[in-house]
Amino acid sequence: MAALLRGLRAGRALRGLSSVVAAPTATNPQCGSLRRGFRCAGLRLQDESKSDKPPSSTSSSTTYHEHYQARSAEQDTAASASDPAVDQSTDPNTSYQDQSGEQDEEYETEEQLQARILTAALEFVPLHGWSMEAIAAGAESLGLSSASTGMFEKGSGDLVLHFIAQCNAQLMEILAEQHNQVQLGQAEPKKTADFIRDAVETRLRMYIPYIETWPQAMSLLLLPHNIPDSLKHLSTLMDDIWYYAGDRSTDMNWYTKRAALTGIYNTTELVMIQDSSPDYQDTWAFLDNRIQDVVNMATTAKQVQSTGEAVVQGLMGAAVTLKNLTGLNQRR
Amino acid sequence: MVHRMLRVDHAGEYGANRIYAGQMAVLGRSKTGPFIQEMWDQEKKHLEKFNEILAENRVRPTALLPFWNIAGFVLGASSALLGKEGAMACTVAVEESITEHYNSQIRTLMEKDPERYTELLQVIKEFRDDEMEHHDTGLAHDAENVPGYWLLKNAIQLGCKAAIYVSQRI
Repeated sequence: MAALLRGLRAGRALRGLSSVVAAPTATNPQCGSLRRGFRCAGLRLQDESKSDKPPSSTSSSTTYHEHYQARSAEQDTAASASDPAVDQSTDPNTSYQDQSGEQDEEYETEEQLQARILTAALEFVPLHGWSMEAIAAGAESLGLSSASTGMFEKGSGDLVLHFIAQCNAQLMEILAEQHNQVQLGQAEPKKTADFIRDAVETRLRMYIPYIETWPQAMSLLLLPHNIPDSLKHLSTLMDDIWYYAGDRSTDMNWYTKRAALTGIYNTTELVMIQDSSPDYQDTWAFLDNRIQDVVNMATTAKQVQSTGEAVVQGLMGAAVTLKNLTGLNQRR
Repeated sequence: MVHRMLRVDHAGEYGANRIYAGQMAVLGRSKTGPFIQEMWDQEKKHLEKFNEILAENRVRPTALLPFWNIAGFVLGASSALLGKEGAMACTVAVEESITEHYNSQIRTLMEKDPERYTELLQVIKEFRDDEMEHHDTGLAHDAENVPGYWLLKNAIQLGCKAAIYVSQRI
């Protein structure tokens, strides 16, 4: 598959500025769909060349949506709305020209292509489970060959990891938005325990559409070749939640807080997959109790520490009293 | 890369704090007490600054902090038990290591992107100057008169190098 991509890239480079116009026009979006689909699958690998092009910031978020059959309708509206003044001739590698005259953006990296396929594959998970069939169905729904599943070395683990990354990103957006609201004074800051509870609940609710197959996904994440990535996602998630909860500690609390939250999150996830109560009430009750446990533990730890300090003070006082009584404190 | 640098700097200031705490525990009431206290106060300010920087940049602190807590205190206390010269020799060794370390960080940052890291560079330069001052104070207070100065100094500096290496990663 990679060799195919490289071969196609070489071929495309030779064609250079040829006038092969492949952009879907408003009148003929279906023409040559198979060829375009094949070309889409054969995108060149992107590296620093992309930074040479003047970025078209208004369309950067939709770059890899353009030119593709699946998104032609969206693109038409996006293209007509965006700025047509971007100069195209500065990029000598442009083979395709968009109708709006926009900077050519169809150089999609392999990661972006993989991301698109996996996102499309998520629709088929309830049907096929977290498997290569789902990925193949996703690829086909985009007009790509189902052989493109060969791109995913970790197989269905890639699909689960992609979904998790997507959920984490969504949660971050929500938390950042809440943070902004508090900064702007439009919302009250929540207490830490409530904030944590809401963040974990929001995040776990994202699994509800896939809850039937989630045990399969969890077991996939435990496979040895998936563990590093799943741990990385988990630790980033915990760090982000604590950051937005207001944690700025720079000592061992950094570790204990994240470890505690990881425990809470994982156990709640396990309870959720076998919960059959309406709207998962039992799960949220379990979550509340676990958070309360951690809060209690922290309070107890503080109490133990202050008791310990008081005891030490008492002992020192007793020692000084003893020294006074026996006359050891006097200077002779 | 910057995260590693900040992590090890934070660990270094934390360790230096504990070393001075150990030295004060032994020599606090002697005539060198005030000098050690002054250097300790400066290290406390350094640590505060790094706490701020770490929180701003969301850097993970090193997991070995409890270890540096104990090791630093023990080093400070045991060097102070060798007398005032021992404490000063320990200060000289540690401050020399830290100065060298900050210098290499300054070089790295200047090579990479001086404009982006101006504030950090300024902080590190200021702290490096403070540490050099401590080093000179140590020498001025007869650090070299401790028996086995060469051995003590090199042993401590070797320990510092190992601590720096480990704290960057863990």
